[in-house]
Amino acid sequence: MASYMSMGEAHRRITEYLNRLVDVISYQDGASLKQLLSLSSESPSFLALADALNVFQDANRLIKQADKYSQYAEIVAPLFRAMQSYRVGHLVESYQAFEKSANAFIQEFRNWESAWALEALYVVAYEIRILAEKADRELASNGKTPEKLKAAGSFLMKVFGVLAGKGPKRVGALYVTCQLFKVYFKLGTVHLCRSVIRSIETARIFDFEEFPVRDKVTYMYYTGRLEVLNENFPAADHKLSYALKHCDPQSEANIRMILKYLVPVKLSMGILPKKSLLEKYNLLEYSDIVLAMKRGDLRLLRHALEEHEDRFLRSGVYLVLEKLELQVYQRLVKKIYIIQKQRDPSRAHQIKLEMIVKALKWLEMEMDLDEVECIMSILIYKNLVKGYFAHKSKVAVLSKQDPFPKLNGKPINA
Amino acid sequence: MERWQPRRGRGRGRGSYSSSSHTQQSNVSNYPSTRKPTLNLISSDNNKKHENDDPDNLPNLTGSCPYMCPVDERTRRERLRDLAIFERLNGNPTQSSSNLAVKKFCRTISTKDVRDLDLRPILVLEDTLNHLLNIFGSKSQPFEVIHDFIFDRTRSIRQDLSMQGIITGDQAIGIYEKIVKFHIISHHKLQRNIVNSDSGSNVSPMHHLNMEQLTKTLSSLYHLYDQTRKPNPEFYSFYVLLHLGSDHQPTGESLSLWLQKLPSSVMKSKEMMFSRRLLRYSRFGNFKKFLQTVDSEASCLQYYILEPFVCEVRAFGLLCLNHGGYKLNPYPLVDICKHLFMEESDVESFCKDCGLETYTSEDGTKFMPTKQTSFCSLKGSRIYYPMVSKRLKILYDEVPEII
Repeated sequence: MASYMSMGEAHRRITEYLNRLVDVISYQDGASLKQLLSLSSESPSFLALADALNVFQDANRLIKQADKYSQYAEIVAPLFRAMQSYRVGHLVESYQAFEKSANAFIQEFRNWESAWALEALYVVAYEIRILAEKADRELASNGKTPEKLKAAGSFLMKVFGVLAGKGPKRVGALYVTCQLFKVYFKLGTVHLCRSVIRSIETARIFDFEEFPVRDKVTYMYYTGRLEVLNENFPAADHKLSYALKHCDPQSEANIRMILKYLVPVKLSMGILPKKSLLEKYNLLEYSDIVLAMKRGDLRLLRHALEEHEDRFLRSGVYLVLEKLELQVYQRLVKKIYIIQKQRDPSRAHQIKLEMIVKALKWLEMEMDLDEVECIMSILIYKNLVKGYFAHKSKVAVLSKQDPFPKLNGKPINA
Repeated sequence: MERWQPRRGRGRGRGSYSSSSHTQQSNVSNYPSTRKPTLNLISSDNNKKHENDDPDNLPNLTGSCPYMCPVDERTRRERLRDLAIFERLNGNPTQSSSNLAVKKFCRTISTKDVRDLDLRPILVLEDTLNHLLNIFGSKSQPFEVIHDFIFDRTRSIRQDLSMQGIITGDQAIGIYEKIVKFHIISHHKLQRNIVNSDSGSNVSPMHHLNMEQLTKTLSSLYHLYDQTRKPNPEFYSFYVLLHLGSDHQPTGESLSLWLQKLPSSVMKSKEMMFSRRLLRYSRFGNFKKFLQTVDSEASCLQYYILEPFVCEVRAFGLLCLNHGGYKLNPYPLVDICKHLFMEESDVESFCKDCGLETYTSEDGTKFMPTKQTSFCSLKGSRIYYPMVSKRLKILYDEVPEII
């Protein structure tokens, strides 16, 4: 606890930190530098330092004491304030101070020619976002408008600009991009992703393959999610599958996140996941939907959508899942066909519309002949059923060959 | 009178108003707000400062103009003969009055130049709007003239609201809701004017601009609902209905994204369930259920918004029936009438519009042959055939212009 630390001890800790910082920079030791900048990690040494600062209260004097410290005053002084505020739970103040420090850090970073401090920069980018989120929570709980995360977004765009050059620092741009994605997704301002995506994908200085795998996975995950929101299924499939393929197999939480969006995409293309997969990654909200698609059970589909409506709406996949109804209808008609085939193979391909009405009634869905005919006409038009319907005799006549074409991994055309 | 300025998080003084030491906040919401307005609007690239819905960029002024139009502007426009027909005293193009002149929308104004005298406080804005809505219902001029005037002057009302940072309060909600209704009714009437005219099938720019302002006003309204926690679900349902249609993204934002943010009470409201069901039917292509639901449940305003889409739905219906129907079973028009909620003569014309032939049999029954290959999907404006719906007819015959 702060109050148990003596002034001498506090003085010692602070100067120790300052010395370390100076050494680490002069030796260009990026791995160590990043340790010194991480507030939210709340490591014991950080906590002790923050306590020391709160006890000593006049760290600025220490910084000014020696040239070797004061050259980094613009970075360290606000950083110390950020730590102090963080320690006593004043998160808005902590964010504001950290942003100042981070700005100064970026200026120095610019001057360092090689990319030695890239890992430290990543930490700064990460901390800015995390602190902003905490600060916004504090603002909201005090009845004020949260705005720090938005500010963090602007800051990160600046950082992106610093990295978007020809030198070795450019491989850091994807990490910063991903931090930006997280900010925009959290704020709901996903349209802002467009400009960074454009920079990454079209600027000549960037070669996607050069970026670290971890960042590529995160990037593909978020851009995949954007494709899901815009219902571009082939693109979504490509991106999310990439993310899945290159994701660390030990990282079950990340795999789950990818699958959460990939499963609906695959379902739209007629590809059903195994139950074991859903169980392994705790995605059981999809299990009834998969079952409904296997059985042709419209009632179950509707029920599953209703039961998990909030969850599906929040992740933005609700509309995608709703559209699976078409495939469920296809399956239902196919089942009737299979049953008929068992009874009388020569007549199986003629399905009385009345049969479909009965089947739906059995599923507690009231539908008249006219509507069934309408639905059959849609299924036929969309090539989910091959054949035609005879209006006069109220019969659907299926093609003898392949009457229920598979989707083959392609989404249904509008 | 001392001016005060609500403090904002980034608290640097703005221009000459920073000297005030008042700390009272009134226009700034005191409700814990968890989100900022996030609707992306079509014209976000030409977003003017004063039309920006982002509360961080709003200036903080308090209007003190007691008239519908600031005196300076009125005298200037009298001198320049820049008075709309509704503003002229006894038809005199150089003479107006404080009862007739209404402040114009100003595109190029910068917040530094605005004085409190130029802005109308909310009570005056309410009165102004009522005055405008009386004109709207008056039919004293051709509709386009009326629309043009109201369009501009309501935009000015919204401008005054946003320049004063008024983002909360029942009165503001009332104003925005009425303006939304104005835009919807105009949407309907302008649409009718296009399709019934002979001047080609291009959607008029007036129609497009109206749509643009409709989405902007809705966006402001939603922000107000967020602040006051008193959402009116019917106004949310309008947004969903605007997204019906294969190429409809009037707000540039994915509907899934928008739905993510809605409170559960709104999502489960009768009006939203209605529009969500229509959305489901439209995405499925279930033309029959779509039209049935419109017939039995749509409110007048909801109908006005989705009306342009009815054509598309019907065309899809014809497409499917023609495509999948047995060649030897030509489809009786009278059955198509039932599916598409149309009069038989209209069905005949509609088939023709879609490139499909019909014929009359010996006993006078009319049919549409199936498996025709000449179907053409007309994009853009089609001739609109009214929906055969007793219920809807009553609704929109009931003097819908009164808002």
